[in-house]
Amino acid sequence: MAEIKLKNLTKRWGDFVGVDDQSLDIADKEFLVLLGPSGCGKTTTMRMIAGLEEPTGGEIWIGDRMVNDDLPKDRDVAMVFQNYGLYPHMTIFENIAYPLRVRGVDKADIPERVQKAAEQVELTQFLDRKPKALSGGQRQRVALARAIVRTPKVFLMDEPLSNLDAKLRVTMRAELKHLSRELQITTVYVTHDQIEAMTLADRVAIMKHGVIQQLGTPDDIYNDPANLFVAGFIGSPAMNLINGSVQDGMFVTTGGTRLVKVNTPDRAAAILGVRADDMQVHEQGQGDIDVTIYAFENTGESTLLTVQWGKQRVIARGDRHLRKDQGDVVGISLNSDHLYLFDPETENRIGM
Amino acid sequence: MTGKQKKQFWNLIQTTLILIAMFIMLVPIIWIFLAAFKTHVDVYQLKLFFTPTLENFATVFDDPYRLGEKLVNSTIVALVSVVIAIPIATLAAYSFSRFSMRGETMMLVIILATQFVPAVVIILPFFVMFRDIGLLDTRLGLILVNLAIVMPFAIWMIKGFIDGIPMDTEEAAMVDGSSRLQVIRNIVLPMAAPGLVTSAIFCFIIAWNEFLFALILTNKNAVTLPIGLALFKGEEGDLWNLLSAAGIIIMAPMFVLALMIRKYFVQGMTMGAVR
Ligand SMILES: Nc1ncnc2c1ncn2[C@@H]1O[C@H](COP(=O)(O)OP(=O)(O)OP(=O)(O)O)[C@@H](O)[C@H]1O
Ligand SMILES: [Mg+2]
Repeated sequence: MAEIKLKNLTKRWGDFVGVDDQSLDIADKEFLVLLGPSGCGKTTTMRMIAGLEEPTGGEIWIGDRMVNDDLPKDRDVAMVFQNYGLYPHMTIFENIAYPLRVRGVDKADIPERVQKAAEQVELTQFLDRKPKALSGGQRQRVALARAIVRTPKVFLMDEPLSNLDAKLRVTMRAELKHLSRELQITTVYVTHDQIEAMTLADRVAIMKHGVIQQLGTPDDIYNDPANLFVAGFIGSPAMNLINGSVQDGMFVTTGGTRLVKVNTPDRAAAILGVRADDMQVHEQGQGDIDVTIYAFENTGESTLLTVQWGKQRVIARGDRHLRKDQGDVVGISLNSDHLYLFDPETENRIGM
Repeated sequence: MTGKQKKQFWNLIQTTLILIAMFIMLVPIIWIFLAAFKTHVDVYQLKLFFTPTLENFATVFDDPYRLGEKLVNSTIVALVSVVIAIPIATLAAYSFSRFSMRGETMMLVIILATQFVPAVVIILPFFVMFRDIGLLDTRLGLILVNLAIVMPFAIWMIKGFIDGIPMDTEEAAMVDGSSRLQVIRNIVLPMAAPGLVTSAIFCFIIAWNEFLFALILTNKNAVTLPIGLALFKGEEGDLWNLLSAAGIIIMAPMFVLALMIRKYFVQGMTMGAVR
């Protein structure tokens, strides 16, 4: 049993706040993803859990033990580093065997366990090589194997797929997902890739400037964003955010277009959020409003239409067989089940 | 001139300059090398062709010169100094590199500053001190002095190598279950090995060539090779042939060590540790 509890965890360097009063409960066997833009404190949080960084304040609990004063080696975690952190003077076999060796596992058992871990990440034919004779993706897998060769209380993975090419990343992502289901060990996973976060996580914590903005299942995060930041961060293309106001139960753009019915009291300023997928593209005159195409992109599996909407540009997703060109006029309608309203002042969601 | 001719022209100039520089540096060594195999009579003649003799090498080991004793002294003093200095310097360098201490920069600067104190300034206090505690003319005394000379140098040099080891590698080892000492033994030492060997060789060379302290602090029992050279003054002037033979004996290990340094120095230390 190894749940992780962070209680008011804070890390400051001088005046600079890296992690700000963060409290977080991670359940036993949960796969929690920390997601956020570069520099938001993901690595710092993880390093504090591992014991590589001393918190300025707050408590870290692993299982039923407060580990603030424990050395990294006594916390029983395994970590995959952003830069691998392999041992260049050891062979791949020795690299994977190191955690076992240094923790005094019976020498006779080591080869078998290394072999098994190597098989899980498909590294068996490289065991005699040194790290420098491997490609980036293979090194990454060595780092993974070194983590899974033991059964620690907690896995900590810091952007373990960040250095792989796009294709290998997809393969490894699936491998990781499979492995994590198999191993059933509490995992904290850092990434700034939202697809990784959405696909791997039981729950996602979205961070910004050292503060968790929203904590929830991938579904929650995607369909029920708590504020502007989360709404704009999750989803590709990013959610369209349209400035306007609410008048007589209608959302009115700053340009004066009465766009769509909303269920909120009138207010002078509001931001409407709508995803590209929640807009339908029609022929001219058949949608809620007509707009001019600014750019037309064909991605293969769908088409993306950037359209000029008053002073703003908005991206809508069209059918993959749709063929238009810039300058053409199309009709757009909004799916009123999936609209979000935000307060421009507080940036928080407004119920509707 | 065409571009190609221009390039050839510059190459020619480069080669010429290198040859001139080499000539200037090598002439004394070649001279010594030839002189060491000449008889006393031949030495003063600049002839390149003569009947070589090994007699000089036999003479310098005989009475009254007994270069053998000095060779033993030099070897012991230099070796022991290195063997003591490198482990201590490694631990010090590791601490400087990885821990932040109060007044760390200050300490590093002070350590470096000791290197800039002219030896002649502190040699007298050393002499008086050593006389009072009976370390004059002992190998132990020389070893202590040499430690003081090579240690700052070794700390700075080894710190440079340890700084080059990625922190990630050490942190990975700590998370994997190593104590700090295990990290040093299993990770830092093997990875810094080329640097340690290089530093050890440099320290050996410094201690081996050390002249001033040995000159003042020894007179009979602990005399080292460089001081031994001074013996080859006869009534009829300097005995150049013997001096040269002894010079070759002093230089021989240096050649070997220089080759070793080259080998280790170019060896990549951290390739493959990080992306
Ligand atoms: N030792 C340090 N001293 C001062 N500031 C630091 C230190 N380490 C990290 N920071 C700062 O803390 C903030 C959070 O850093 P952190 O490494 O946790 O970011 P991250 O979320 O992992 O970003 P990335 O996605 O780029 O890896 C950054 O702004 C960084 O500059
Ligand atoms: Mg990071």
